[in-house]
Amino acid sequence: MDIVIFGLNHKTADLDHREAVSKKLRTKEARQRFISGLLSIHSSVAAHSLIKEITVISTCNRAEFVMIIHESEAENINPIKLIENYILNYFFGDGAGNDAGLYNMFYTFKNKEAISHLFAVTSSLDSMIIGEPQILGQVKNAYNEACDLKTAGPLLNKLFHRSFYCAKKIRTETKIASAPVSVSYAAVEIAKKIFNSIDDKKVLLMGVGEMGKVAAKHFIKHGVTEIFITNRTNDKAAEFAKEIFGYYGKGVIDFAEYYKILTVADIVLCSMGAENFIIKYDDLLPIIKLRKQKPLFLIDISVPRNIDPEVNKISNVYLFDIDDIGKMVENNLDVRQKEAGVASQIVESEAEEFIAWKSSLNAVPIIVALKNRIQNILNEELGKYLNKNSDDIRTLINSIANKILHDPVKVIKKNALDDNGINLMEAAKTLFNLEQDINEKDETKKDETTRKNSNRDEKSLKIKLIK
Amino acid sequence: MINKYYYLIPFFIYFFSYLLLFSRQKNLYRTFIVLIYSGFIIQSFILLLLINRYSIYHGISIASIIFFNSWILMLVIIIFSLLYKAKYVLIYVSPLAYLTLFISYFAPAADFRTALMVNSSLLVTHILLILLGDSLFALAFMISLIYIFQERRVKLKKNLKIFDKNREGDKKGYKKYGWDEVFYLGKGYNLELLDNMNYQCLKIGFPTLTAGLAIGIYLSNSLFGSMTTVKPIEVISLITWLIYAILLHERISRGLRGKRAAIFSIAGFLMIVSTLALSLYLFPQIHGFLH
Repeated sequence: MDIVIFGLNHKTADLDHREAVSKKLRTKEARQRFISGLLSIHSSVAAHSLIKEITVISTCNRAEFVMIIHESEAENINPIKLIENYILNYFFGDGAGNDAGLYNMFYTFKNKEAISHLFAVTSSLDSMIIGEPQILGQVKNAYNEACDLKTAGPLLNKLFHRSFYCAKKIRTETKIASAPVSVSYAAVEIAKKIFNSIDDKKVLLMGVGEMGKVAAKHFIKHGVTEIFITNRTNDKAAEFAKEIFGYYGKGVIDFAEYYKILTVADIVLCSMGAENFIIKYDDLLPIIKLRKQKPLFLIDISVPRNIDPEVNKISNVYLFDIDDIGKMVENNLDVRQKEAGVASQIVESEAEEFIAWKSSLNAVPIIVALKNRIQNILNEELGKYLNKNSDDIRTLINSIANKILHDPVKVIKKNALDDNGINLMEAAKTLFNLEQDINEKDETKKDETTRKNSNRDEKSLKIKLIK
Repeated sequence: MINKYYYLIPFFIYFFSYLLLFSRQKNLYRTFIVLIYSGFIIQSFILLLLINRYSIYHGISIASIIFFNSWILMLVIIIFSLLYKAKYVLIYVSPLAYLTLFISYFAPAADFRTALMVNSSLLVTHILLILLGDSLFALAFMISLIYIFQERRVKLKKNLKIFDKNREGDKKGYKKYGWDEVFYLGKGYNLELLDNMNYQCLKIGFPTLTAGLAIGIYLSNSLFGSMTTVKPIEVISLITWLIYAILLHERISRGLRGKRAAIFSIAGFLMIVSTLALSLYLFPQIHGFLH
């Protein structure tokens, strides 16, 4: 089994293309649809799905698909290529798989590279703003969703937990998160280039996401006292206000009336996550007249964008989207970049540890078969002279088997980590004739899965019929 | 008569202080400020000598008027940079004062005391008001230029890198200090402050210019005995006044600000420059107060 990551991010793709992908992964249902499509890819030879486990990470700067895929059983089939084509066609229409331009916007990482990449993403080393804290939460959410959808299995479970551990380790052992550079920090810095002071300015927050919360706190820290909050769901906005100001519903504006606040607000931070533009060019023109040309600073951190980029052409209106902010803060974070070097070393060592663990998994079926074989022999031979059903005998058999296998298991596990280990495992298989046992066990497992699936199908069919 | 070489003393001090900025070394910004202030004090001292020696009520040479203009401009720049805590005003606008000082060295030194046929105190007030108004508009002009450049940068999101306070030194090996924040990274420029300063210049400059022009028209009337004699200087002055009048009106009534207001300021100042160039420097006789 291979760990594969296929995806695109702010470094490889422009905002328009990220938007196109993000639109099709916006809701949980949309992601579920996408995943079930992916899981339906079967190779012509194998009867099972090519993908064993999958998690979709979709944030404003990236869309990544972390997959565990079966190695191909046919020589002429490249499962990764099949999956890549499917994904490209899904997001950009039929034939997109053959478009080299589109293909280059995506990256594919396999095994060690994929593990390092995921660890780097979770630790915010691959973020637009290195060290920003939101990404860890976003990856956790993606993993939780995969657990809900039952698309995360033992390997992904271990992989994601390890990546969370790695992210925490990097946060504690390096200064990567020490300087408060984030989108909200950048927003305040840009605001200082437009406004003389921001403490007397009015801020409108559209959307109550994590980013909005961080931004609100940052603005308050910089002396802003008047913050308005609007959201499609008023209750959420009221809760948000309670979290920020300590009063339920303080500064909450009904979403239908947010444009009234646009006539007085100086800074607008939009993170609505709507599919289309909320603030449009034609809507903003009369508002600017009503504002008597007072400067208006708009920050759109939503992907897809919620503010029409055309509004930047209006006099005294300054619009910054997520990419603009990213470009501004990149290359200026020397301290963080120095720390990022140390953090990368941690990522590498963690990735190596994980790959070692993954390789040791290859030895597990052999060890289990070997143990079973010895237990069976002991059971058979001792059964001739003693009562083999007694508990004492079972304990004795277990104990002898463990003692005999203690050193061989240690050596096999250790050697499974490098290429030579394969030979040793093969030797164990041949010496004890374990091939048959392993295959038999696989068959039984498959049968069980098929039975479970058919039961599930029957159940769902019954439910459908009842409905 | 004071030797015109004296004019060059503050000029060279200013010039040297400006050259210092380009070496970008530690503490040079402080040296720059000290030199600028010393230059200004010396310039003020020379001005006092001028007034004392010739007595302002007995007539003034063109060169000394320009010298005086440079002094007023410098005064306005220093006051604004201190009042608004905007170092860049001192850096970007003061070269205009050095230029005026340099011009004063080459301007005719002829004492036109005898040529003047009008009430001296009114003429001095006229000159003072016009020069103060013009200096404020010169400042507004430079601020407007900075505004337009800065606004363009914000709109196009170019060279707006956020300054990292933790940064120490760079690839070239010299250390980054406060000055670099101002000069190279645009820190300190903010559009609102630039617009406010522009507006302030207009609010003070317009009444000053209006009063100066009114006195000028009165003087012209008493000199020629008729209001109907229209001279080119009056036409250009009227156009300039109208530009600023429209700008002030639009600002007050319709909230005009930002880029358009900056363009208006630039246009107005260019008109002032053409007025001065056409009337005073190139054809002194058409100004009307000289025979």
